[in-house]
Amino acid sequence: MSWYMGIDIGSESSKGVITNDGDLKARHLLPSGSNYRLTAEQLREELLARMNLSPEDITCTVATGQGSGNVSFSNQQVTDIRCCAKGINHIFPSVRTVIDVQGRSSQVIRLNERGQVINFSVSEKCAAGSGRFLHVIANVLQVKLEDIGPLSLKSENPVTFTTGCAVFGESEAITRVAEGIPKEDILAGVHKALADKVSALIDRVGLEEQCAISSGGGLNIGLIKSIEERLGVPLMVPPEPQFVTALGAAVIAAVEQAGKK
Amino acid sequence: MTKVVIIDEDDKICAHVVSHTGAEHRRLANLVMLQALEQAGLSFDEISYVIATGYGRINVPFADRQITELTCHARGIASFFPGVRLAIDIGGQDAKGLKIKDGRLIDFVMNDKCAAGTGRFLEVIAAALGLKVEDLGEISLKSTKKVSISSTCTVFAEMEVIARLSEGVLLEDVVAGLHDANANRVARMVRRLKVEPDVVFTGGVAKNTGMIKALQDNLKCEVFVPEDPLLSGAIGAAILAREQTLEAMKKGELVQRGERRLEEATFFK
Repeated sequence: MSWYMGIDIGSESSKGVITNDGDLKARHLLPSGSNYRLTAEQLREELLARMNLSPEDITCTVATGQGSGNVSFSNQQVTDIRCCAKGINHIFPSVRTVIDVQGRSSQVIRLNERGQVINFSVSEKCAAGSGRFLHVIANVLQVKLEDIGPLSLKSENPVTFTTGCAVFGESEAITRVAEGIPKEDILAGVHKALADKVSALIDRVGLEEQCAISSGGGLNIGLIKSIEERLGVPLMVPPEPQFVTALGAAVIAAVEQAGKK
Repeated sequence: MTKVVIIDEDDKICAHVVSHTGAEHRRLANLVMLQALEQAGLSFDEISYVIATGYGRINVPFADRQITELTCHARGIASFFPGVRLAIDIGGQDAKGLKIKDGRLIDFVMNDKCAAGTGRFLEVIAAALGLKVEDLGEISLKSTKKVSISSTCTVFAEMEVIARLSEGVLLEDVVAGLHDANANRVARMVRRLKVEPDVVFTGGVAKNTGMIKALQDNLKCEVFVPEDPLLSGAIGAAILAREQTLEAMKKGELVQRGERRLEEATFFK
């Protein structure tokens, strides 16, 4: 029995998984907070406790995400792009394009049948191109983040955001509220605006089916529908999209280990 | 902001008024005009020609003509700085670079799509820090060790600022870093026009001494600021109005006035 661990320290939340023979055995998510080192330790502790394992039982740990350098117990650091591709390939082997919508950036990755990255494009550091835009507008409307997707689907008249900037978009949303526009129309509009940004990323690398979505964006049905509409293709949604990259890290840990033998 | 400038035939300013545009004031450009007339001691009929400019120029029913703010800014700035080759105008919602030769606009770049690189960036940060936006510049000048802040997104810069302060970085060093980030964004935009001296900085953000310094540091050249950086567009419009009147007089004609109505603008008809 060989156990592997993947730790993904993201800008907003940190995710950890343990796998065994390619099967996901445990997963845990924590807010990243301001001390990534401590967050990584806590993730490991919780995962090991759940499986009743000790640190020595883990054959190899791969760390990924923007805080991967703070995972003191990892054997290796791998980019989140490689891990995301590997993770989605593990769940959906037929996927060739994955749209990864995170808290502070978005990326589109093209991959082959072995889960290797062929090409990718990453958004600028721009809140309007990431999940942050949704946070900003949800905050204006006083709607919980988990509710914005379902609520937006009720819209019949999505508003158009004119600027593509989260700060100006926030003012636009306030103006629309003052005009009495229903929340669902404003939310549908912000999902469309983010879908446009994603679509611009795809234009740079091309789209090959099957197509999937991962990270926090994959939890938002409103965003999924908007992207599907914009691209004209269905999106495959993994059961727990936030863990795709951490899972990919654990899969890479196992592959690396197998290579050494 | 709504600005009204009245000049005489020698381009001497007889009156100038600056007032918040706001939601209602846009309808009430006529009130600002009346204030300016009172200041100059003139009646409206004595004004030979009225040119309206800026985003709201179509909402001025008493104007004889509308001219874009780019043309008016270029003309106004060249009147105080004849050697101007690049003008940078940063307002609350946008930033523009104007390439000027012999007092005329020959090219421009503009950002009205992203809050970074505009006055809005500074307003958002001032609100997050609980500071007045007009105090930011002075605070930044106290810095001896500015921190590096991401220049590409206001939302992320705001988050970075809070993180830096919680790490114990001095406020003035953070604020200096913000001015540098904002100026860097503007500098990258205007470099597309090839920066040549003289460089002149106008708009409401030009009142911020920290931004003047940050722009100088980023462009590596001296940056001139007019005495009242908000007025250059209105002054340019007034100068163009005078020129139009003199041209007509030279031909022995009366300048063709519009259908002036010194009343509030009406919308949604």
